[in-house]
This record gives sequence, C-alpha cells and structure tokens, in this order.
Amino acid sequence: MDAIEVTELTKEYGSVRAVDSLSFTVSEGEIFGYLGPNGAGKTTTIRALLGLLTPTSGTARVLGADVREEAALIEAKRHIGYLPATLGFDEAVTGRRVLDYHASLKGDYRRDELLETFTPPLDRPIREYSTGNTRMLGIIQTFMHDPDLVIMDEPTAGLDPLKQEEFNEFIRAERRRGTTIFFSSHVLSEVRRVCDRVGILRAGRLVGLEEIGALLDRGGKRVHVVPSDGDSLGVADLDGAVDVTTVGEEIQFTYTGEYNTLLDELAGHDVRDIEISEPALEDVFMHYYGTEHETNPPTETADV
Amino acid sequence: MFETARYEWERRFRGTVVIAVGMTILTGFFVWYFSVLDTESLQRMATSLPPAMLEAFGIETIATIEGFLAVEVYNFLWVLGLGLYFAYTAGGLIAGDIERNRMDLLASFPVSRSRLLFDKYGSLLPPIVVFNVAVGLVVYGSVAAIGESIDPIHLLLVHALSIPYLLACAAIGTVFTVLLDRADTAKRGAVGLVFALFLLDSVTANAERLGWVGNLSPTQYYDPSEILVDGTYALTDSGVLLTITVVLLLSSQTIFKRRDI
Repeated sequence: MDAIEVTELTKEYGSVRAVDSLSFTVSEGEIFGYLGPNGAGKTTTIRALLGLLTPTSGTARVLGADVREEAALIEAKRHIGYLPATLGFDEAVTGRRVLDYHASLKGDYRRDELLETFTPPLDRPIREYSTGNTRMLGIIQTFMHDPDLVIMDEPTAGLDPLKQEEFNEFIRAERRRGTTIFFSSHVLSEVRRVCDRVGILRAGRLVGLEEIGALLDRGGKRVHVVPSDGDSLGVADLDGAVDVTTVGEEIQFTYTGEYNTLLDELAGHDVRDIEISEPALEDVFMHYYGTEHETNPPTETADV
Repeated sequence: MFETARYEWERRFRGTVVIAVGMTILTGFFVWYFSVLDTESLQRMATSLPPAMLEAFGIETIATIEGFLAVEVYNFLWVLGLGLYFAYTAGGLIAGDIERNRMDLLASFPVSRSRLLFDKYGSLLPPIVVFNVAVGLVVYGSVAAIGESIDPIHLLLVHALSIPYLLACAAIGTVFTVLLDRADTAKRGAVGLVFALFLLDSVTANAERLGWVGNLSPTQYYDPSEILVDGTYALTDSGVLLTITVVLLLSSQTIFKRRDI
C-alpha cells in the first residue's frame, strides 16, 4: 500500500483551478518533497489530503483511506501527523496545555523524547512564544503520537539555521524508523538535503516527479563570477554552462557539468569575486521543464 | 469523549467566573436598591409608560420584589444580556478558529467535524449553569437579607426555564459561526439577529395582526415576568426553544460537514 495516492485531483475555486488533475504516489518509508513556488497549489493539495477541502474532481488516499470519506479518514488520522504552514494555537493557554489537549485526542507516545530535541518553553502562554518556539511546539504535536505518515507544509519556515539542521537530522532519523514524510517547500536547498524524491508543482500542475539526485544533476548550480579587469572568461564554451549573461562586470550562468572542469577553467583566471549557489526554483523549471518564464523573481541565494 | 468540550470550557473558565461575579454584584445591588426605593411612585411611573415599552422591559409590576427583579435582572440581564452574550460567544466558536488558522490543526485530529462542533457548543453549557446557580443563590439570599421573600419555586423555574432560551440563542450564533469565515462578522451577525428578534417581539406584542412576527423570536418563549410574578409558564414554550435549538444545531452540523475549511 502506498502511503499517499493522489489520483487526478482537481480543486477549483469558482473559475480558478488551484490544482489541476494531480496524480502521484508516495511510497511507505519515503521522504517526499513537494516543491513549488508560493501560490502553486501546495497548500491546497495538502489540505485536500487531510480532508479539509473536498476535491472538485478526482481524489486521494492517505494510508489507504479515501479523503472524501470522513469515517475512513478519521481512522487514518490516528496515524497521521500534520504540521500546517501557519500554526494557530490558542494564545492564552500554555504550550503544555496545548500538548495535553492534543494528547487526549491523538495519543502521546513520544513527547518526552521530542522535548529533548525541541525545547519550547512549555509553561509559558503561547502569546509569549517566538516564531521559532511556536514552530517547535508544532513539530512536537506533529510527532507526539508516533504517526506512520507525516504531512508538513513549509516545515522549516521560522526556524533558525541551527534548529533547521537539527530538524533535518531529525527527519532523517524518522525515515530510519520507517515514517513516511511528505513535505512542501519553496526552497530547493531545503528539499535536496533530506528528500528521496520530489514532485514539482507549478501553477497547479505537476511538472516534474523524480529522484532527488536526478533533479540536482539537472538543476545544476548558479554561478556568479567577477573576473579582474580585462580578463574574459571562456565559460560560455564550457560543457554544461547555460544561460550565460553578463551584468556589468559580473558573469552569471547556470552550470550543470563536472565541477572540476569549471574549477580548472576558473583557476586559469584572476577571479575577484565568486558565488556558487543553488539555482532558483524558477530557473530549474525554465531550463528543465520547458515552461515559460512568466515571473522574474530575484535569484534565490541558498545557503549551501 | 468530550476532550474538546473540556478544553474549551477550561479556556472559558476564568471569563465565566469574572462575568458571574459581576452579575452577582449587580444583582445584589438591584436588590438593595429595591429596599430603599419608593415603590409607589415607581409603580405610577412604570404604568404610564407606553405599552410597547412595558412589553420590551417585561414590566408587569415593579412595586414587588418579584416584579422588580423580573424587569431589572431577568429581562435585562438574562433575556437581553445573556441572550446576546451566548449568541456572541457561539458566533466565534468555529469562525474564530478558521480565522486564526487554528482549524487546520483541529481538523487534523482523529475526530469528526460533527463532534468538534458539538463539543465546542457543549463548552457553553457550564457557563449557562454557573450563571444561573450563582445569580439564583444571590437573589434568594439577598432578598431574604432585606426582609423580603420570594417564592423559591418561582425562582427555580425562572432560572431553569432560561436554559432552553440561552441554548437557543447560542444555537443561532452557531449557525453564523459555521457559515462565515470571520469571527467578528459571525459574532456581530448573531448578536444583531438576536437583538432584532427581541425588538420585533416587543414591538409586535401589542399589534394583533402582526403578533405572528413575534413568534419567530426566542424571547417569545421565555417570559421571566410571568414566571416570577404569577408563577405561570408553559412547558410547550420550552419545548419550542429546545426544538429550535436542535434544528439550528443540526443545520449547523450539515453546513459544517460539507464546507471547505
């Protein structure tokens, strides 16, 4: 049985199609990254998976339960953890009370263990929580009932880099326990570190579905080089350099070839400044899925 | 069972106590005030009021402690004040969670939407009981303290029969809260409707041909003045209120089960 099975899922709001006949499956024990720019329909998909939205057509199954059938879905939810993008907790109650409430409905097998990694101030009211603390409380409630399937919407938004790395490590450990993890993100660098497979969503349609390795090979790196005055780089001739543009003194391109070849080429020049980073998602789409570049967001400089 | 009801009631506890204390102080003050009033002139003034106003304030007689309390405490504080309060509070039950992004988490719980809704509605029951018990006791005690007496059975009835009325007001708020995404709009809508129905009932009470309009209002089915002063009441009225409550709750359930969150 697949943990998640989405079949021709479509959700329309009036004349707007938020998601358009999506089909994909997530196998048991897999970490699946659901990647796409903001507004692509990631949250709509997730909310349909949890039965918050009724699909306009098509359907999905989570842990074997059809999301359109409430009774079956409730049974499945005992084994599902969910971390929404925006966490709403009652402001006036303490973190401990929130967890107790969650425990009374979902069960509580792992709270103490989770509290060793994630450390929100449990005895303070939520209104005093920082964004990071709220996130950590959210993560604890997601995993406290030891779910088989975890669905997370932009899970690391609001975590500081250190906690983010801890979180990634935690996710990898979860996979070793056999937990299936489905999470959405708009940051490629985040997805690449933990996922086995990714689905790429764009304007409500699934435009890519592949192993993370293949995506990264095809996604390449974004390179910015500023050579010293008068030096012209031969990067345009390099195998794997595409979309070469020159902005002022800076040469920018996406590089998908062998790293050593690039470094050898650069070593023969006087380089004043260089930055090698993750490509922006939009660039990945543009180059590898042949889609139109409708918007022109600033290049995302990922912290690699 | 009832985990959500318990959780919600815990959250309401402090507010409930504050309101209960406020109402008991106010009630105690009314009773004391009655003891120093010149009731004769008050009665003359009251009977000169226009009939619609007499009806709106439930004034039968104001010269006895029963009549006085029926007006000041039960028509104002209970029918209008608490009626609006429970409509308002119920108006925020679901819409508030949706607006503040809390519903995403609640909807991920392994419980049905119906149970979530009824648990939340159920969390309004303890405040209804607390207010009734607290003010009932204070009325009985303070009336005795000023040397007056009040029929304990009438007092018991005026409180007990207010429960179906308050449940109906809360059910009106519940319909609003499942229909709307914004808590403020839902609360205001519920309060506005209950108040409008109260006014309709008062205004049309003396208009023979429009009397049926008043039948739409929950206030038509709970008359504290009659209960407290005359000891008359109709259990069918309470039956009507409970029926209204059930119908409204079932409608809310249907709407909430089908809607997108």
